[in-house]
Amino acid sequence: MGSDESYNFVFKVVLIGESGVGKSNLLSRFTKNEFNHDSRTTIGVEFSTRTVQLDNYAIKAQIWDTAGLERYRAITSAYYRGAVGALLVYDISKHLTYESVDRWLKELFDHADPHIVVMLVGNKRDLDTLRTVPTEEAKDFAEKRGLMFMETSALDSTNVENAFNEVLKAIHKKVASREVTRGSICAVTLSNPPSEAQEGRRNCCRST
Amino acid sequence: MVSEHLHCEDKREYETKSGRAGPGNPTSPRHSVRKNLDFEPLSTTALILEDRPANLPAKPAEEAQKHRQQYEEMVAQAKKRELKEAQKRKKQLEDRCKLEESIGTAAQIWNQEILPNWSTTCTSRRVRDLWWQGIPPSVRGKVWSLAVGNELNITHELYSICLARAKEKWRTTPAPSLETEAEDAGSSNRESSLELIKLDISRTFPQLCIFQQGGPYHDVLHSILGAYTCYRPDVGYVQGMSFIAAVLILNLDTADAFIAFANLLNKPCQMAFFRVDHSLMLTYFAAFEVFFEENLPKLFAHFQKNNLTPDIYLIDWIFTLYSKSLPLDLACRVWDVFCRDNEEFLFRTGLGLLRLYQDVLTTMDFIHMAQFLTRLPDLIPAEQLFQHIAAIHMTSRNRKWAQVLQALQKDPERGSPVLKH
Repeated sequence: MGSDESYNFVFKVVLIGESGVGKSNLLSRFTKNEFNHDSRTTIGVEFSTRTVQLDNYAIKAQIWDTAGLERYRAITSAYYRGAVGALLVYDISKHLTYESVDRWLKELFDHADPHIVVMLVGNKRDLDTLRTVPTEEAKDFAEKRGLMFMETSALDSTNVENAFNEVLKAIHKKVASREVTRGSICAVTLSNPPSEAQEGRRNCCRST
Repeated sequence: MVSEHLHCEDKREYETKSGRAGPGNPTSPRHSVRKNLDFEPLSTTALILEDRPANLPAKPAEEAQKHRQQYEEMVAQAKKRELKEAQKRKKQLEDRCKLEESIGTAAQIWNQEILPNWSTTCTSRRVRDLWWQGIPPSVRGKVWSLAVGNELNITHELYSICLARAKEKWRTTPAPSLETEAEDAGSSNRESSLELIKLDISRTFPQLCIFQQGGPYHDVLHSILGAYTCYRPDVGYVQGMSFIAAVLILNLDTADAFIAFANLLNKPCQMAFFRVDHSLMLTYFAAFEVFFEENLPKLFAHFQKNNLTPDIYLIDWIFTLYSKSLPLDLACRVWDVFCRDNEEFLFRTGLGLLRLYQDVLTTMDFIHMAQFLTRLPDLIPAEQLFQHIAAIHMTSRNRKWAQVLQALQKDPERGSPVLKH
């Protein structure tokens, strides 16, 4: 892990999915190695960062943890803009949270960069005895839609690190192949031509 | 700190060689060592007083002297530190007592002078000043109720009826059905569902452990939120409401808490937010920015440069009326004046917070500011915050908050570009 202030890339990643699937805990597990049994409802959006070392690059993941409430979606979808990665989270023990994945995807592709890297994440794998979403089903679905897939447990840390790192790696691969970045420190976007890449950092936060 | 066993190992040597262990007691038990020290060292600093082990060359006298001196200095410093700590604790206790005394006095004034003559006293200068200093917890609920009022004319009976209806609904809908999920994507049906309220109750002030399953106020919070979804099915349950209801429950009886809750949510700003009326929310953000630029031009420019838009932090602050982002006692003080000054005070508080943390914010980039503002420090100095809020002027070119807001509503194009699709 590199220090917070020295990095080569900034990747904006959003956490989306229904209320209560464990988005905030996935994030705190990844950035602080913490799990909170009584976490608070996320209202609007919260932020966290972590710098990881991939190959020879320090990559700063800037993670936007959004509220899952349906009613907020109109607000939170504005925060997808500029994101280069997304973890779409459902709860393996609550089938309804899996059924809404399609709606989330639509929302995401309506507002985010079309080249965004998306991973479908089945969280709460520790609740295997209460499972209502079979792994194979979700895996097939993800494959069909061209999404990455992983089952995680923020509670016992299973795959949390992996999930984030795989997404960051995939983004990095796309970025490297497109050569969209200039300079040593730059927030990246996936679709912009190189000349606009310098603007990346701004784009990543702007909602217009 | 060096671990204890390291200290023990050398104790015997220390006893015999330093000669402090007391004469005629050469093989004294270990525990007597500490008793004989003038000052109990906080760590192993006393070790520097010891001679070297026998297999090493002895310490020169000069060095021993130097070590003694160093040790004494350390002890003196530690003592000074302890004294300072003790003084600080004493001061804290005194402050606490003073505060409690002033709360007691204030409670008396509110109870005996202000509340009995509410309609005539509530607008007086003196009451307004007292109000600003914070309403004593014992009368807080009463004052909030009076200040919020009951424009909706909700009676205790109406609350009972709404609650009964909610309970009936919960009984007849065993589990959220798939059909309603699919059909009513846009309606508030899903959000008013028992499931969501249940989920959120467990995540409302979890650290207090009183609203969670099995806690004393769990059912009350559940009842108020459920009754509200029956009272206003068009609004339903929206996240953030559980925090507002919880704060009210802490200060009022159930039915009165419900009345205050429904009336609070009925205020224009709260309606705009809880119905997620986009364009109106944008107008509020734009009005906030007008006063932001006016009051804190440098910070405003810094935020603009970093593309930090007010929605990022204001959404959480406004939806929960600061009850999630500020320590509870401080949030209650904000509520005190919010009940007096209405929505304007919510935005003024926001600007007060930005003013309080102006110096640190100007050194940060987008992500650090966003992180800071969506998760404020655990300890926020109340008096300081209120001083900063007081320093915020809610006039812009001779226009007050309401006028600025109105002007922006008429001309939405001038609004903030935030959240526009």
